Amino acid sequence: MQFFGGSEISPSPPVPTATGNNAHMMYVFNRNGVCLLYREWNRPLHTLNPQQDHKLMFGLLFSLKSLTAKMDPTSADKGNLGVPQLPGQGCSFHSFRTNTYKLSFMETPSGIKIILVTHPRTGDLREPLKYIYNLYVEYVAKNPLYTPGTSIRCELFNTALDQYVRSIA
Amino acid sequence: MAPAAPRSGDAIFASVERVNAELFTLTYGAIVRQLLTDLEEVEEVNKQLDQMGYNIGIRLIDEFLAKSNVSRCVDFKETAEVIAKVGFKMFLGVTASVTNWDADGTCCSIVLEDNPLVDFVELPDTCQGLYYCNILSGVIRGALEMVSMKTEVTWIRDVLRGDDAYELQVKLLKQVPEEYPYKDDE
Amino acid sequence: MGREVSESCIDSLLTEMVSTYCNRFYANKPELAARRIEAIGYQVGHQLSERYTMDRPRFSDHLEAIKFICKDFWSELFKKQIDNLKTNHRGTFVLQDNRFRWLTRMSIDQSPENGASEDTSIMADNKAVQSMHLYFPCGIIRGALSNLGIPCAVSADISNLPACSFVVRIKA
Repeated sequence: MQFFGGSEISPSPPVPTATGNNAHMMYVFNRNGVCLLYREWNRPLHTLNPQQDHKLMFGLLFSLKSLTAKMDPTSADKGNLGVPQLPGQGCSFHSFRTNTYKLSFMETPSGIKIILVTHPRTGDLREPLKYIYNLYVEYVAKNPLYTPGTSIRCELFNTALDQYVRSIA
Repeated sequence: MAPAAPRSGDAIFASVERVNAELFTLTYGAIVRQLLTDLEEVEEVNKQLDQMGYNIGIRLIDEFLAKSNVSRCVDFKETAEVIAKVGFKMFLGVTASVTNWDADGTCCSIVLEDNPLVDFVELPDTCQGLYYCNILSGVIRGALEMVSMKTEVTWIRDVLRGDDAYELQVKLLKQVPEEYPYKDDE
Repeated sequence: MGREVSESCIDSLLTEMVSTYCNRFYANKPELAARRIEAIGYQVGHQLSERYTMDRPRFSDHLEAIKFICKDFWSELFKKQIDNLKTNHRGTFVLQDNRFRWLTRMSIDQSPENGASEDTSIMADNKAVQSMHLYFPCGIIRGALSNLGIPCAVSADISNLPACSFVVRIKA
């Protein structure tokens, strides 16, 4: 059993799978589809304006979740395509890989979605995403100046995030 | 397979940063007293305490989920148990129990025998009708709403009103699935 | 060791108390919100200092009482002492906590990435909200000292976060 807690962010960060500058960008959405945070480290190509970009990413996840649940051979109670699900309901994917990038995805029961886009050869990022969720709790949810549901403007969070992401990808 | 949620909050409570409960209890008491002075109507104080609790609940849910490692809250029964056993322990250091399930599993009671909010509290007669701990019902309602469960939370028993324990009834109204938030398709 | 609760309990209660008074009750009257928040702190400080001094002899002078606040009282609340105490020997004391717990998680984005004018207003807002959070600890100190028979005024300076200096001016 693993517990997260303590004054410092714990557990200690998972062992890096590779180090360098391989993270492209990250998104955090809340349960209403609001993009709380977009952070970019290495993204040479922008084809859309930020709003369209966020919307496309959210739509991609939404459809993919619905598709993966629909194709689940192990469960009898599958929703119809496009029928909204509860966060955590049914099966959920945690990453996909193309020849040029890897997208890792985590969704909490409270509907917080964390998406990290990295180099295609990056390893399993499920534990690192949990760690990022812990950073979110410590620096965003517990920041008295942060209003839930609004976009994240926390220097401490950004600093901790940048540093951590650099160590994992 | 989702990792199993911890059965008790003891280990988590032992690992989190803790503070002197006196400070918390007296601060809560001072807030209630100030609200009584400012709002005059006891009913209005109940309402504001519930609203404050709700706002706290929607913030605390993520800490609860992150530290308890709970990765899904789809089943109401399971969720009520984990909130009572892990949630109360993790934040208040006390254990709550879940009882009085109705037949279709949508309504239950959370019972608290020990409640740090009320140490040193005695209600004067002028506070009749006050639900002193109403912030708790708000926290539960807010936290559950963030995991898609719309609930109604009401006090059944209250030691400050002469009962032998604190009992909150939690009734599931509906589970709200995630909606696709963007309407226009371009 | 007395009873304890998770730090998040008190943190989230304070966050919500400040937001209730500043955003819901007195959205357009910050000075009224400030007065209420300070009053809540005052009650808490008064009661706590009563409890913590029950078995003690009376303090012989102001400095003794201030030292009690810096050491025993602060340790009960924050598990650490005040880091630095200064006085002008004419009734003003400056109590500095180098890493004041209730400020450690407060952070705002200082980088002016987006529209500059909007940013300045948000930052000014943030500064105002930040200072709202300090009326509570100021009230605690004033309440505690007043319980010890020392009427005073308390203000806070946060020009170098997360350090916080509380300025106590004893009323002659």
